[in-house]
Amino acid sequence: MTGEKQPSMARIGSLIAAAFIALCVVILFTDYVVASRRAPGDDKIVKDLQEQTKADASLAPKLAAEQKRVTGARLARKTRDNAVAWVLIAAAAAFLVFSKRLVRQEKPPAPARQDAAHAPAGASVVVPAAIPELDFSFVDRMVSEIGRSKEAAIPLLQAIQIHYRYLPDEALRRLCDLTEITPAEIAGTSSFYGQFRRSPVGRHIVRVCHGTACHVSGARQITEELRRHLAIPDGEDTDAARLFTLDEVACLGCCSLAPVLMVDDHTAGKLTPATACDALKVTA
Amino acid sequence: MNGAPQIGGRAWPLAAILVPLILALGAVRSAPAQAIPYQRPVETAPQPDAIGGGYKVPPVQKPLPRDYWLQVLDVVALAAAMGVSVWLVLRRRNRKWLMALTIGSLAYFGFYRQGCICPIGSLQNVVVGLADPRYSIPIVVTATFFLPLAVALFYGRAFCGGVCALGAIQELVVLKPVQVPRRLDRALGLLKYVYLGLAVLFAVKPALARDFLICRFDPFVGFFRRTGAPHMLMIGGAFLVAGMFVGRPYCRYLCPYGGLLTWCARLARRGVTITPDKELDCGLCAEACPYGAIEEMRAVRRKCLYCARCYSACPRDGERAHAKTELIRLSGAAPS
Repeated sequence: MTGEKQPSMARIGSLIAAAFIALCVVILFTDYVVASRRAPGDDKIVKDLQEQTKADASLAPKLAAEQKRVTGARLARKTRDNAVAWVLIAAAAAFLVFSKRLVRQEKPPAPARQDAAHAPAGASVVVPAAIPELDFSFVDRMVSEIGRSKEAAIPLLQAIQIHYRYLPDEALRRLCDLTEITPAEIAGTSSFYGQFRRSPVGRHIVRVCHGTACHVSGARQITEELRRHLAIPDGEDTDAARLFTLDEVACLGCCSLAPVLMVDDHTAGKLTPATACDALKVTA
Repeated sequence: MNGAPQIGGRAWPLAAILVPLILALGAVRSAPAQAIPYQRPVETAPQPDAIGGGYKVPPVQKPLPRDYWLQVLDVVALAAAMGVSVWLVLRRRNRKWLMALTIGSLAYFGFYRQGCICPIGSLQNVVVGLADPRYSIPIVVTATFFLPLAVALFYGRAFCGGVCALGAIQELVVLKPVQVPRRLDRALGLLKYVYLGLAVLFAVKPALARDFLICRFDPFVGFFRRTGAPHMLMIGGAFLVAGMFVGRPYCRYLCPYGGLLTWCARLARRGVTITPDKELDCGLCAEACPYGAIEEMRAVRRKCLYCARCYSACPRDGERAHAKTELIRLSGAAPS
């Protein structure tokens, strides 16, 4: 890591600056305490001398000298304190510069934040999930139950979709081999109906309502935020961990809750982009 | 005003003291407003005849007020700084240059002008001016008071961002801010109206009992002048240390002028805005805002202190800036 030398630099700098600050504060404080302790005594001496001078004029030079001493001491303290105050201000500025750098190093800006934002709810580390090996004897069984004719195409596709939760390519190829249905017909049917999917789904399906009410109250922003949160690339609908599949649906029938989404059977309404991501946590 | 004799070039910074006195500490230090031809006001003290021995009253040295055109220049500087602040935040969305402006304001309005000119304190002068027919305030003070409010009416609290010296010193110490819970934030925010009410109450009292609370309990002016009551310096230090972890505690919870600015900023037509289209609804700005001024992903104008942290944290803004330089690089053309 590159951060081996730099943090120690900032840390040493801020520590030195903090030491200077403490030193200056201590100096100023002791100076203040000493001066305010001494002030009444000095005042008393001068006052007594003034009284005595009224009676005995020969004491006048002594009084003048005393007054000069007291004034000199006070002026010296003022200059001294001002100088220390400037050092204190400079030290405080240095401390802030160093410690800001330190704070910035402690939380690296972009990458860490992205990790946190994009990690799907319930999974601490994103592991791209491999598509599991499938057992296609189910297709054989269905074909023998439902039939081999062209009319059986939709019931067969439905059965496969329910079993595997999507239409695996291998299963469709097998279907073509076993029945009279041509690949072109299967491709046409499976892409025509919205109920069929050709790509694997995640463990949970998130249906974001894009009906009129939800659209008006920001369904697009909710979808965008979910895509960002789950790090789903453009053109795809499932996150890398295959936990969530995002589906934009026409209407969930609860416009009073707009904008609304469903995670499997759970409904979450009156969403904002911030709360939409929390809604995914019901599955965790 | 220019008829008064000049003390000399060196006394010029010293001359800066009287106007601040009028502006902020007039009543507290009970300095006579404009008393250049000085007469000894005390009759009971020994007079030269009584002292005898050829004693002469030494000439009393009083600093001259700051030249009038310099006072006007200060007001112009205030207006210009607010203009630059609005431009940097709303147009350029640039925090870096805003920080430069903040440091500049702290150096000029804070350390050089020693905390005056100060619209916060001028509030009291204006209140007294309204309440007491014998109390008059110069037009520069009136302008100082109304300019930030006028700007707030159109653009929000631009004064708080890079201009106010008290704000600037707190802005610079923000280190690791925590988000104050919304309810606590709201409750503490009411304190500033209490303070405003007290300040007005004490300012409208008859001349002898009058007290300018805001100036007397100004926590940071002691640092600008490097002198002050020890307890106020300690309170100021405490505010700064607290300000490292709670963004700008004085501005948000105590500043009485902030209360007035809040009311004006509610009506602002433009200001810091965060939209789902131009920015994103990703929430990085809300995380970056140490003042809790982004609620439900939208900037709240009456709380926004114009620090531009939201824009500097915005990935879209970074993207736009990047895209622009990329485009320039690709086309090989100089930026227009």
